[in-house]
Order: sequence, then C-alpha cells, then structure tokens
Amino acid sequence: MGLEKVGALPRWLVMTIVVVLMAIPLIKPLGILPVISESTMDYYNAIDQLKPGDVVLFDIGFGSGGYPTLGPASIAILRHCFSKDLKVVIMATQQEGAVIYPLIMDKVKPEEVYGAKYGEDYVFLGYIAGVQTAMAAVLGDLHSAAPVDYTGKSIDTLPMMANIKNADDIDVVAYLTTAGEIAEGWVYQAYSRYKKTTCGGWLSMMTPSLKPYYDTGALTGMLDGIRGAAEYEKLIGEPGDAMKTTDILNLTQLWVLILVILGNIAFFAARGKEVS
Amino acid sequence: MIATDISIWIAAFFTIAATSYVFKDNIIFKFAEYTFIGVAAGHALVMGVENVKKYGWSHLKGGEIIYIIPFIVGVLLYFRYHPTYYWLYRYGIAFLVGQGIGLSMRGMVHTDFIKQIAATAGPLVAETALGTLNTIIIFILTITSLTHFIFTVKQVHIGTMSWLPKIGRYGMLLAFGAAFGNTVMTRFSQYQGRMLFLLRDWLGIVAP
Repeated sequence: MGLEKVGALPRWLVMTIVVVLMAIPLIKPLGILPVISESTMDYYNAIDQLKPGDVVLFDIGFGSGGYPTLGPASIAILRHCFSKDLKVVIMATQQEGAVIYPLIMDKVKPEEVYGAKYGEDYVFLGYIAGVQTAMAAVLGDLHSAAPVDYTGKSIDTLPMMANIKNADDIDVVAYLTTAGEIAEGWVYQAYSRYKKTTCGGWLSMMTPSLKPYYDTGALTGMLDGIRGAAEYEKLIGEPGDAMKTTDILNLTQLWVLILVILGNIAFFAARGKEVS
Repeated sequence: MIATDISIWIAAFFTIAATSYVFKDNIIFKFAEYTFIGVAAGHALVMGVENVKKYGWSHLKGGEIIYIIPFIVGVLLYFRYHPTYYWLYRYGIAFLVGQGIGLSMRGMVHTDFIKQIAATAGPLVAETALGTLNTIIIFILTITSLTHFIFTVKQVHIGTMSWLPKIGRYGMLLAFGAAFGNTVMTRFSQYQGRMLFLLRDWLGIVAP
C-alpha cells in the first residue's frame, strides 16, 4: 500500500475509533485536569467580585444542540451566582432556551442547595423574541419588555423585580450562546450602549471570530466551549459533566491530530508520485 | 443500572438513530431527522403564536391601539404570495431591516470599528515578551492580509511587493485552520454529551 492510501481511511473506522475514544475515559477516567485560562478566570472574577444582592442578567442563548457544551457551563455559572446570594434574572433569546431552562435548574437546584426562592432570588422571563430588539428592550425597560415571567405571572408581583427596572439596576450581563448574532448583540447592546460588565460564552468554533471582543475589553470574561465549562467547574470546586468529559476531549483531539498528520502524509505522497 | 424511564429510552433511540448516519444513510436516520424537523417546526409555530399573544395581542386587548402597527407590518409580509399586491411586503421587510440596522449600528461602530482599530494600532511592546511577540504578529498579519485584498493595484500581487499579500495569505490560512480545528472540537464536545447520556443515564455504566 502506498503512503497516499492512508488518507482514505473508511468513515466508519474513523468514527468507530472516535466513539471508542469517547467511551474509554468515561468508564475509566484518566483524571487530566483542565488548566484555567485567563478568559475563564475573568468570567469567574466578574461574578465572584459581586456583593450579595447584586443583579446578574443571565441569557440562555442556546437550544438542545448546544446543551451538551453550554449546559454544563450554565449550571456552573448559576451555581456560582446562587452560592454568592446574587439576584439572577434569567431570560432566553433563543427559542429553545425556554425548554433548556428546566434541564439546567434541575441540576442547579437553587431551592434545595442554596435556599434561593423563585421571585425573591431568581426569576425566569422565558423566551423573548427579536434577539437584539429583545436585548435593547430588556435593558431599556425590563418591565415593558417582559411584563410576565415564563409561567405567565406578572413580574410586578415578584419581590425581587421591584428594584430591577432597567440596565442601571443590572451589575453583570452574562450569556452563553450558539448564535453569533446573540453573542455580538449583547456586546452591542449591553457593553457598547450601557457600558455594562458583559461576559460571553459560546461554542469553541465561534471563538476565533468573537475573541477580539474579549481582547479589546468589550467582554470582561469569555468561556470557550466545553473547555471553558470544565475550567469554570474547577474554579467553583464542583466537578460536573464538563470536567467528566475533559479526558474525552483530550483523547479525541489527539485522534484528530493523528488524522491531520495522516492526511498530510497522504497529500504529499500523492503529490510526490504525480511529480515523479 | 439500565434506565427504566421511557423518555430516556426514546432519547437513546434518537441519539443512536442520528449517529447511524456516520456509517451510512439509512431509514432509521431519516426517521430521526424528519421527527426532529417536525418537532422543531411545531415548537417554533407554537412559540410564534405565543409571542404574538404575549407581546402584541395582550397589549391590543388592553387598549394600546399603537400595537396595531406591528400587526399591520406583520400582515404585509404575507403579501409576498399575492400575484398583484406582492410589492406591499417590501414595506414590512424595509421596516424590519431598517430597525435591525439602526439598532445594531449604534453599538457596532464602537466595538467593531473603533475598539478593534484602536487595539490593533496599539504599542508594539507589551508587558511580557510573549505579549510583544503577539502584538508584532497581529501588526504584520493585519497589514499583509489587507494587502491581499488590494485588487485595484496589480503590481502589489505580481511585482516585487508580491511577498506582502503572500504572507497575508498564509496568515489567513492559519486562521482558517484554527477555525476548522475549533469546529471539530465543538462537534466532538457536542457528541460527548450524548455519549455521557448513553453510558450514564441510559445504560448506567458510568457513575452519576
């Protein structure tokens, strides 16, 4: 077999090895801990430096497709918020976010673990349509933009909302999203217009195009996909699904690296043959 | 222990059905695909109606007549399908596009232009040696990448200066490679969540 053939591995073989590499560390963890990056540390610090009673606006900007990556990050961030007695206003700028909310809260357990009460310590406004229109509306006049919460209850009747009217009453805007327009939207609306401390998190594939917002200081903190989630879990000292899957990421990335090398060997071997 | 909850079994079935595509396109995958599209479309429709009720109809019912305007603009969009009055839909689109641009431009100019240019044009020497190296790379690749897009001056690409856009091209290729690597990592991280679900929540092999 010529070296050029190594680039033509059958798809089923490549994917079977991926599945095996994912299963092995789950059954027998290797225990490789993530190294905390500066951007995750900044995200953590932005929330950690808040005082009890300060307000965090948290946006679930992802649906079921993003849940495996951003779900663990949401759980870690909300656990951090509740452990610091912060008031959390949760909303969804992604339609499926309203479906994801109960999945997240089922793991966070704010009432049981932190003694938080719905309406007094946290509220969920549900899905608010319009992306940037929704963001601008919520930051401009929250009570008009979302007169009722996701259960249909008027937010005027919720004690914590009496003092949260607009961007002036919000200390940190934090979001996790799978959509570029949501990631950029919060930068434009929360940071650019109101100069709010804004922290963003997203899928790793979005990082190259969105990291400049963090580099230039528009975003105070940044969570880079599942890696960022694992780092955040490590920072709050509560290992979750992201840390469990860190080994998988290491092994599968190693496999990708091998495939890239094989692909290059095949490419140069085929080119060498053509030249000769 | 293996799950006894029927919803977990359904989720496990659809996870495996969707994954089966990597081996070969098959009827089980198609079933999963069409089910997902159907559910997503149904969910989007219900959420759409809910939004109209929540943010439009409830206000109108409460006597806020001004809310008739978004309803009219919304209805205008459907004129797209009318053979004679189809042009009316343009007013709806114009309103949406104008509002969207107006809203985003306000913040975009500051963060996408001014801040990015200011950051790129900053001092070359940073606090650390690695930081300095980084700013030098940014400086060189920004300038050389820009030269790649100068199409009005032919000499830039074929003359003695052709090494400039060439460096820019390599810089862009590196960026595309990084983006591709991140995309692969994202796809794996999304699937590893499903693996965890299959092995822990469904089969009970992995400890909770």
